[in-house]
Amino acid sequence: MASMLLAGYRIIVLGRSNREETLNERIFKLLRWFGIEELADQLELVEIDLLKPKLGLAETVYKQVCEKTEEIIHCASDTSFSERKRDIVFKSNVASLDGILQFAADSKAVFFHYISTAYVAGTGITYCKEILSVAKTFTNVYEESKAAAENIISGFCLKNSINLSVIRPSIVYGDSRSGRSLKFNALYFPIRSAQSIRDIYLNDLNNNGGIKAAKNGVYLDKDGCLFLPLKIYLPKKGDLNIIPVDYFVNATVKIIENCSGSGIYHLTSNSPATMKIVAAYYQQLMKVRGVEIIYGPQPENLLQNPAEELYDRFIEPYRPYLSDNRVFDRTNTDLATDNLHPPEFTYEIFKNCLEYAISVNWGQSIF
Amino acid sequence: MQKNMNKDMNMKTPYETARNCRHYAMCKIDFLGSGVCDSGLEKHFVSFYPQGRMILYEALSENKIPITEKCVEIADSCNLCGKCDYQCYFLNEMRPTKVMEALKNHVDSFIKNGGKVKPVKNDIILDEIKKIVGENWATNDEAITITYSHDLSPVSEPKIPDYIVLPNSSEEIASLIKLFNKNKITYTVRGNGQNLLGFAVNEGVIIDLNRMKTIEFDEKNWCVKIGPGVVAFDLQKQAMKRGFRINAGEPAALVCANIMCSGIMSTFSTTYGINADNFINAEFVDKEGSLFNLNDVSSPNLYSYKNLEHKNSPGICVAAYIKLHPVTDDERGILVPFQTLENALSFIKECSIRHIGLALGIVGAEYISTFLSPTKKSALEIKNIFIDKLDIPFLVVVVGDKFAISAICEMGFPFFDQRLFNALYLGLPSLKSAEWLDLIKELSDDEPYSYLRIKSFADLLETALSPSPALYSKEIDPELRPFFEKLFSRKEMTDLVWLTMFRIMTTRLGRKNPFLPLIVYLPIDKDLISEISGRFKLIADKYNVDNEFGFITPIDNGKRCIFEYDYFFDYNDPEEIRRIRLAVTEANMLVDEYSVKTGTVKGLPYVLYQGYSRKENLLYS
Repeated sequence: MASMLLAGYRIIVLGRSNREETLNERIFKLLRWFGIEELADQLELVEIDLLKPKLGLAETVYKQVCEKTEEIIHCASDTSFSERKRDIVFKSNVASLDGILQFAADSKAVFFHYISTAYVAGTGITYCKEILSVAKTFTNVYEESKAAAENIISGFCLKNSINLSVIRPSIVYGDSRSGRSLKFNALYFPIRSAQSIRDIYLNDLNNNGGIKAAKNGVYLDKDGCLFLPLKIYLPKKGDLNIIPVDYFVNATVKIIENCSGSGIYHLTSNSPATMKIVAAYYQQLMKVRGVEIIYGPQPENLLQNPAEELYDRFIEPYRPYLSDNRVFDRTNTDLATDNLHPPEFTYEIFKNCLEYAISVNWGQSIF
Repeated sequence: MQKNMNKDMNMKTPYETARNCRHYAMCKIDFLGSGVCDSGLEKHFVSFYPQGRMILYEALSENKIPITEKCVEIADSCNLCGKCDYQCYFLNEMRPTKVMEALKNHVDSFIKNGGKVKPVKNDIILDEIKKIVGENWATNDEAITITYSHDLSPVSEPKIPDYIVLPNSSEEIASLIKLFNKNKITYTVRGNGQNLLGFAVNEGVIIDLNRMKTIEFDEKNWCVKIGPGVVAFDLQKQAMKRGFRINAGEPAALVCANIMCSGIMSTFSTTYGINADNFINAEFVDKEGSLFNLNDVSSPNLYSYKNLEHKNSPGICVAAYIKLHPVTDDERGILVPFQTLENALSFIKECSIRHIGLALGIVGAEYISTFLSPTKKSALEIKNIFIDKLDIPFLVVVVGDKFAISAICEMGFPFFDQRLFNALYLGLPSLKSAEWLDLIKELSDDEPYSYLRIKSFADLLETALSPSPALYSKEIDPELRPFFEKLFSRKEMTDLVWLTMFRIMTTRLGRKNPFLPLIVYLPIDKDLISEISGRFKLIADKYNVDNEFGFITPIDNGKRCIFEYDYFFDYNDPEEIRRIRLAVTEANMLVDEYSVKTGTVKGLPYVLYQGYSRKENLLYS
């Protein structure tokens, strides 16, 4: 949104309030965070309910919004991986499409841009083409719902002669230059988990004599580094396909500006990182030793220390993404973005991102 | 002296402390093992306990009574030992010693300044009463009578009785009743003044039963005969020493009075039952002053139940034969967390039907946080953590033997065992700054509370929270900290079984403000309970009355449950009293409405004085 405002676009934000804030408060908070409050007059905010006919708007308002709309970017989704939340996730990501698609048709929008995920490719596939997913099995309900959504949107747009661009990022982290980010899930979660375990033992060592730490082989070495024995098992050797948010934004804007017809675009990295790299960066930055990434199945009757057992639980939902063999076709993307690629995930980028995350307490004191 | 001070001034002055005394009579029992006020144990009148001195000081401050002979004696009898500070701080975060000190100073100054102490007035009736109970056990001194002028109910108006009498036998009680009848004097029997419906006050005579504390075990017949002055805590303690358990109400409640008023109910009622399930026999002095016991064929049938509000008292219970229950050495307590009341209800129903667990009770976040926290401020913070971070708005407390606990494991419910509870409880201050709690919630995304399945989670929790009596006590007033550190080093203070049996934490519920529990007997029907709970809330909100879900305990093999919803109020604020009276009236009408509509719902007012009835008659007729 910020990039598009800076590029001079006028944007109608169709959204809703949450329990704590109105839509207005939410958006203006974001503008302040981006430092572009002066561009507020390029924005129009409309409170809607995707599950209601005509988005829950009065007929006249609905018509007015339709008349003003040229292109639609649909980026709302429930990113929960939890199977227990299947109904909620499908309601948010699939059932709610009717309203916005009808709006696209009613407004005679020339383009519908849908922010999806590269992982609609599903499991059991190694080369993921920029085509609609035909996968039958997925890692989680989020992937499944996004794949279902893509198919519904695609069918609707085809039938109603609306151009569709499906933008499929892999895992998005903070800004590669400043480290700034609004969300601290995905890549951040395994790091934050390690950080929490580190803090628990550091506190024990610094304030409680470190008896518990010692019992579990955790100690401060002579260089002041925390030795934290943490063996992390990942099922197979593989990559961690991550892209910074600045790349995601720039590439998306280019796609929106450059594409002339329907297309699917993978915003992914051709030189993905690995958990070994992330672990090494983490240890270097946080003065930790003892973290070990082991590729291969966990031995039977594996004896884990408490930190390992907890960490294992922490990363469980993310594990499939931490050692991934999928390779993503970028033919459409390279064409539409003039070969714009994400930067290599360097120690500097990692440092910026993690320092920012810690400075805003993983998002809790961001605003 | 001042009155109606600003609420912010709470507890800053002895007067404010005095007028905020909760009147729970907990200072009359040794629930912390720190001893009880010596003068109270000797003199028995409530005025000689800290609670009585608080009321007395408040009355003197407001010039409600003059300084009398007993007033001087009461002030003198306090040696400022500070025991009451430990007790009252534990429960209500109050320090009564400064009130005791102020009372002594007040009386001293009065005498030093030449004040004339009001002598006891001669009274023929009092002389007659004293002939029955002895010189020391009856009085009309205002310093004593004022301390019996109110109970816990916001519904009742305070009434100052003419006389207080402390009989020591059923024969004395019988003689007293005859005397009162002859002279047309009204009387009210009082235990520890915990009646919630305003029935412990009277302008005539108050018969205080606190001298009648005999406890006689009959182990071979699995019962214990008790006098009417025996409190639940003391009886439980004696039973426990002998390897038994009784079903007990609030720790300071007199057991006989408890049966009389509402029947005994606790989380152990799941197994031990309610009402007539809890005793074998009881002895009474009737309204004519004659003795009878429930096993006499000619006795009134107190086992029957009539759906009447405020039924008359059948007489004065002068002894009860309470059932003893066996205890096994593998009993443990656990806490099973739930995200919704509906799920918690399904769980207790299942357990109750299948006879899993000895004690079962759903408690809400208000209960959990208040019970666990050493201070009001901490309770509020912990409540938010339980709801927002741990996603635990409801916990089911279970006490059971190893078979019950393993059955619950098999049912697939993750829970806090005793070790985890210890860590959570004594590590409470660390919980407030634990940033890792956000991650814990995410761990629960797929399966609620799945972190409790991590084998070494207890080890991690202990490492993270560094639980210790010292840590737990760090938020307590510095002068009291050494005592509390020692107190929380004692095993029973964190033992879920002991805490569930002795219920000393439940009195903490009144720390924020006094409360009025709305108690309902009804089926374990999720929709019905949610509906009634929601409407209790609506009523309270309408009158701007602070309110919270209390607890639910299944009874009679899961066929029914006892549901408590609490309304809080400041009894020093007339406006709040006005509003809570309206709210309670409407809430009781609501229960009546459901009672008629369903034929299965009953409210507490309909149980009053029918605690001896068979539970089947109460629940199903």
